[in-house]
Amino acid sequence: MSDPESPDARRLASYIPVSAGPWLSEADQVYDAEGIFEYIDGAGEVYRSYNMGLLVARRFHKDGKPDIVVDAFDMGSSEDAFGVFTHDLDGESASIGQGSVYKSGLLSFWKDRYFLSVYAEEETPETKALVLDLGRRIAAAIPGTGVEPALLKVLPSGGLDRRGVRFFHVHSVLNYHYFVAEENILLLDRTTDAVLAGYEGEGGGAMRLLAVAYADGPAASRALASFCRAYMPDAGDGRTVRTENGKWTSARSGAEILAVVFDAPTEQRAQGLLESVLSLAGARATGPAR
Amino acid sequence: MSRKPITRRDFLKVASAAPLAGALIPSFKGAPPAPSAAESKVRVVLVRDPSPLGAGGAPPAEVVQKMLDDAVRALLGETDVVKAWKSLIRPDDVVGIKTNAWRYIPTTVEVEQAIKRRVMDAGVGEDRIAIDDRGVLRDPVFQKATALVNARPMRTHHWSGVGSLIKNYIMFTPQPAAWHGDTCADLAAIWELPAVKGKTRLNVLVMFTPLFHSVGPHNYAKDYVWEYKGLIVSRDPVAADATGLRIIQAKRKEHFGDDRPLPMTPHHITLADTRHHLGTSDPARIELVKLGFDEGILI
Repeated sequence: MSDPESPDARRLASYIPVSAGPWLSEADQVYDAEGIFEYIDGAGEVYRSYNMGLLVARRFHKDGKPDIVVDAFDMGSSEDAFGVFTHDLDGESASIGQGSVYKSGLLSFWKDRYFLSVYAEEETPETKALVLDLGRRIAAAIPGTGVEPALLKVLPSGGLDRRGVRFFHVHSVLNYHYFVAEENILLLDRTTDAVLAGYEGEGGGAMRLLAVAYADGPAASRALASFCRAYMPDAGDGRTVRTENGKWTSARSGAEILAVVFDAPTEQRAQGLLESVLSLAGARATGPAR
Repeated sequence: MSRKPITRRDFLKVASAAPLAGALIPSFKGAPPAPSAAESKVRVVLVRDPSPLGAGGAPPAEVVQKMLDDAVRALLGETDVVKAWKSLIRPDDVVGIKTNAWRYIPTTVEVEQAIKRRVMDAGVGEDRIAIDDRGVLRDPVFQKATALVNARPMRTHHWSGVGSLIKNYIMFTPQPAAWHGDTCADLAAIWELPAVKGKTRLNVLVMFTPLFHSVGPHNYAKDYVWEYKGLIVSRDPVAADATGLRIIQAKRKEHFGDDRPLPMTPHHITLADTRHHLGTSDPARIELVKLGFDEGILI
């Protein structure tokens, strides 16, 4: 465990109420990125992949009732708070913080540079109400407002499934959302920003757009070459291929951005989407998305 | 009905686990050949009992004992359960029962005690038996252990795909996180460490209430647990894990209505076979013996 008296831990802990109705809180547990495995085992790697800084966990207990657990993560940046929130979007919006989902006793939301999970070990009408109330109180206590990753600006708006946008860094998380390959053929790591989005494809079926921002243009070009060599060696210089399911995959890079469209209904749709991405990337403001 | 084509994404999913890792897409030639008749199979026993589960998630102790006994007899082809255990454990062994203490779905006391009882029946004194999970490196019995029995539940896992028998030995390493690379691909290498190498006499994969889908930091939601009421027992941890994984995947298909893959690939099981040669992951090379009730058996 980490030092619960550190300034960051005390600030984060101050956002969490000490009671939830008749449920009383137990002593906080505080973990840094090295110690998180003591708390949630290997699942901690998900949060580490988003550069987590600190976790304050507070358990609420009432005899004879299910426990409620608040896990408050300081992700160090609002971009990564947003990103780790997009890791699991299963559920209904709860209109809490800057984005939230609730399902089966689990509320997740982000605000500022913080990601929050409020979890009832068993969902009942009573615990659901308490979980949502806790979430609202925590969100209200966090004074700041975060910004979404700037890379979201390269996503063309037409046909975009905005609620399903995922932001991440590493290839295992890409595979979590959309399996591409066991090997890290896109050369992703904690320094790369990546966004995955779904688009409606004319004629039915969804297509996926992946955009990755590398450190510089040469890095993006190397990733493009690596991807094409492993994933579509049959594509040739056009870097577009009709895959085994009859749909189209196409990849391009421009500046520090690599963009790939998977499962487009037509070659033209794939290339049109890529052109839009690279155009938006060229026009991308240096400021964060709003 | 049309069949879904095998895509390059499907191929790239298995390519790195194949014996010729890195094979390119054009070299894809379909499924590997079935084992020849002369090739021996690894035996795995799946035993299930319909008795109601207690508050801790296990059937009554006497039912668990019978399930374990039936499985071990079938596994070893021995009618006398004590004789069967004596073929696994020597009276002079020092025995560590590696359990799993996860808050939501533990190995259960019933399974731990059923194993311990039979280890004692094999002639091992109680002072030379320990049951532990996170403390195995500090436990004096585990430090001197000459034999291990590996027992844990299977559940989906945010990073390794599933929590498996192979993964259960991660606590024998001083830095478990050091084994998380490539979503735990090389967990089987842990089994080469001196603390465990060659010591495992039996593997028990607890399938009383498996978790088939993970959500949230705690990896758990009651909605994604079901009462399967089974134990999987084998000398081969990879074969047992591969069998448990088939059940988890079948349950996901039943629940979600599609073939959605586990969020994180559980490739450490296949790689335990193809890369580390710890055991057998290919169902075609596993002899699955089923005991007990088969309603909802899924495989």
